[in-house]
Amino acid sequence: MEADSGHPLSASSIGVQIMKKKAKALRNTGSFIAFMGPSLIAFTCVLLIPFLYGVYLTFTNYSPITRTSDFIGFGNFAAAFTDKAFLDSLLKTLSYVFFSAVLCNLVAFLLAYLLTSNLKAQNFFRAGFFTPNLIGGIVLGYIWKFIFANVVTQIGKSLEYAPLTTSLLTNPDSAIFAMIVVTVWQYAGYLMMIYVAGFVSIPRDVQEAASLDGATGLKKLFKVTIPLMVPSFIICFFITISRGFMAYDLNLALTNGAPYGSTRLASMHIYQKAFQASQYGLGQAEAIMLFIVVAVVAVTQVLLTKRYEVEA
Amino acid sequence: MAKVCLKNIRKVYDKGIVAVDDFNLEINDKEFVVLVGPSGCGKSTTLRMIAGLEEISGGELYIGEKLVNSVAPKDRDIAMVFQNYALYPHMTVYENMAFALKLRKQKKAEIDKKVREAAEILNITDLLQRKPKALSGGQRQRVAIGRAIVRNPQVFLMDEPLSNLDAKLRNMMRAEIIKLRQRINTTFVYVTHDQIEAMTLGDRIVIMKDGIIQQIGTPQEVFESPANIFVAGFIGSPQMNFFDARLECSGGFYEVLIGNTAIRLAESIQKKLKEKGQEPKNIIVGIRPEHILMAKKDEPGALPAEVDVSEMMGSEIYLHAKVARKDCVVRISTSNIAIESNEWFASGSRIDLVFSSQHMHLFDAESEKNLLT
Repeated sequence: MEADSGHPLSASSIGVQIMKKKAKALRNTGSFIAFMGPSLIAFTCVLLIPFLYGVYLTFTNYSPITRTSDFIGFGNFAAAFTDKAFLDSLLKTLSYVFFSAVLCNLVAFLLAYLLTSNLKAQNFFRAGFFTPNLIGGIVLGYIWKFIFANVVTQIGKSLEYAPLTTSLLTNPDSAIFAMIVVTVWQYAGYLMMIYVAGFVSIPRDVQEAASLDGATGLKKLFKVTIPLMVPSFIICFFITISRGFMAYDLNLALTNGAPYGSTRLASMHIYQKAFQASQYGLGQAEAIMLFIVVAVVAVTQVLLTKRYEVEA
Repeated sequence: MAKVCLKNIRKVYDKGIVAVDDFNLEINDKEFVVLVGPSGCGKSTTLRMIAGLEEISGGELYIGEKLVNSVAPKDRDIAMVFQNYALYPHMTVYENMAFALKLRKQKKAEIDKKVREAAEILNITDLLQRKPKALSGGQRQRVAIGRAIVRNPQVFLMDEPLSNLDAKLRNMMRAEIIKLRQRINTTFVYVTHDQIEAMTLGDRIVIMKDGIIQQIGTPQEVFESPANIFVAGFIGSPQMNFFDARLECSGGFYEVLIGNTAIRLAESIQKKLKEKGQEPKNIIVGIRPEHILMAKKDEPGALPAEVDVSEMMGSEIYLHAKVARKDCVVRISTSNIAIESNEWFASGSRIDLVFSSQHMHLFDAESEKNLLT
C-alpha cells in the first residue's frame, strides 16, 4: 500500500493509466463505429456478402429449382472457359468497349474543346449535351429503337441510301455499331463536363505563354493542352471502360442481344445464364471472370496513363 | 531590339468598362520602362495589349516601324515573363526553354547552344533536366526569364515577375534583373505595383491610375516633381504627408498658412510662383517624411505636434504624429538624436516640427495638380 501510494509509477497509478488508455480507445472505437458503421454495414450487406456468396456459388452446382447445392470445385470455371457463347460475348464486349470508349472520349473532348472556346450560349449547349446522361438506359434504348426503326429508315428512303432503309438494329453487322452510337450519345455529354473542367483548369497564363512562344491551333492543343489534361483522360477512360464492360440496360432495351445474338454482351450473357438457364454456378463463374477482365483492363489503363500525369 | 510606340491606345471591355484610355507613350530602343500603379489601374492590360493577348479597342501600337494592332502574339517578336511563371509543367527546364525555338524550327545544335548560354547567364545549368514542380519560386522565375531570353526578342515584357517571391528573394532578383538588363540590352516594358521596383529598375516610369497616365518621367523627376497628389502619394515610402493650407502673398513674398502657422516659402519656390503670377488660394501642401525636422527652440514656422506612435526601424525612427489635426509621418535618423532621450517620442508627448521649405510641394486644392510644374 505504501509503495502504491508513494511512488509515481506505483501499481495503482499504472492501473489508472491503463484504464484511461482503455477508456480513450473505447471512445475512439465508439466514434469510429458512429462515423463508419452505417457505410460499413451497407457496404457489407450490399456488396461484400453478395460478392463472397457469389464466389461460393462458383464452386457449387446450385439450382434454384431443385434447391440442391453440391461442391464441384473449379468445374464451373472449366465450363466457362469452354462456353463458346460466353467467350464470344466477351470478345464482342471487348470490341464494344474499345470502340465506345474511344468514340465517347473523342466526341466528348471535341465538344469540350468547342464549348470552352468562348462560343456564344456555351452554357446552354453544355446543359443540352449533358441531358442524355440523365435519361435511364432502358428509356434511352426504347427511344433509339424507335429512331432507328422509323426516323433513320425514313431518312434512308428519302435519300435512297440502301443501308439505311432498314433499321440498323435488324442487321447483325450494324446492330453493334448502332449500340455504340447510342452509347456515345448517352455518355459523351457526361464526359464532356469532365473535359470542360480539365480545360478550364489549365492556367490561362500557360496557354498565353504558348501563344507567345508560337504554338497556335493544333500545335498548342497537342503540345500543351492535351499533356496537361491527362488527369481528365484517366478518369474518362476509366469510366467508359468500366461502364462499357458492365453495359446491360441499354443492351436489353435496344437489342436484347438480337439479331441472332450478335449484340449479346457479356453482362447479358451472364444474366441469361444465371437467371434464365438457372445455371447459377456457371453464371457466377463467368461473372467473376468478367470482373477480373474489367479490373485488369481498368487498372492497366490507369497505371499506364498515370505515368503521363504532371503536377503544375 | 526595337522601339515601341503607343498612340491613343484605348481598351474598353464589355458593358463599356474603360480599362485604358488615351494612352500615349514612346518607348525608345533599349529603354527600360516601368508601368506602375495600384491594382486595376490598367498597367497589366496595357502590357497585354503590347503582347497581343488583349485586343486593342482604339489607337495604334507600333513595334519598330510596324503597326501591330492585328498581328498575332507569336508574330510580334516579343517575349513575356508572367507573374505566376507560366512554365509548362509537363516539360523539363530545358524543354521549356527550347520550346519556342523548336516551334520556329531552329536547328537542334543551335537550340542547345542558346539554351545552355541562357542557363549559364541565369545560373540554372544544374536544373536543366528538372521539371518545374521540383523548383523553388526563385528558380522557376529564372527559368521563366530564361525561356524569354533564348528567343532574343525585340521587346521583353515582364508582368509583375517578382510579386510571388518573398521579400529577400525579391531584392535578390531585382538586382539580377538589373544585371540581366545590362547583359541582354534590349527594350524592356516592366509592370509592377511596387514603387521601389519601379524606382530602382526603370529608366522611365509611367504612373497610372484608373486607366489614365498620371505622369511619365525618370525616377528622379517623378520623385522630386510629382505632377499631382496621386503621384506624390504613390511614389516614396513612407508616403508624402498632405495638409490643407492657404497660399498667401504679403509684401511680395509667398507664404503658406497651415492652421495658424505661417511658413515662408523657399526662394526657388517664390520664383516659380512669381513667374506664374500665382494668386492666393486654397492649396494642399505636400511634404515628405524625411523633409520634416525637429524644430529648434523658438524657431519661426514651427508647427506644434502630438506624438501618436514611434516606430524604431534601426537606422531611423518613423514618428507618427498629429500636426494641424492631420496624421503625419516624420522620418528621423537615429544618428541625429540621442537614443536615451527617446522619451520625447512617447505617445502623447508634444514636440515642435519644421518643414524644409525648399522641399515643399504645392498642389491646387481643386484640380490636385502641382502648382510648381
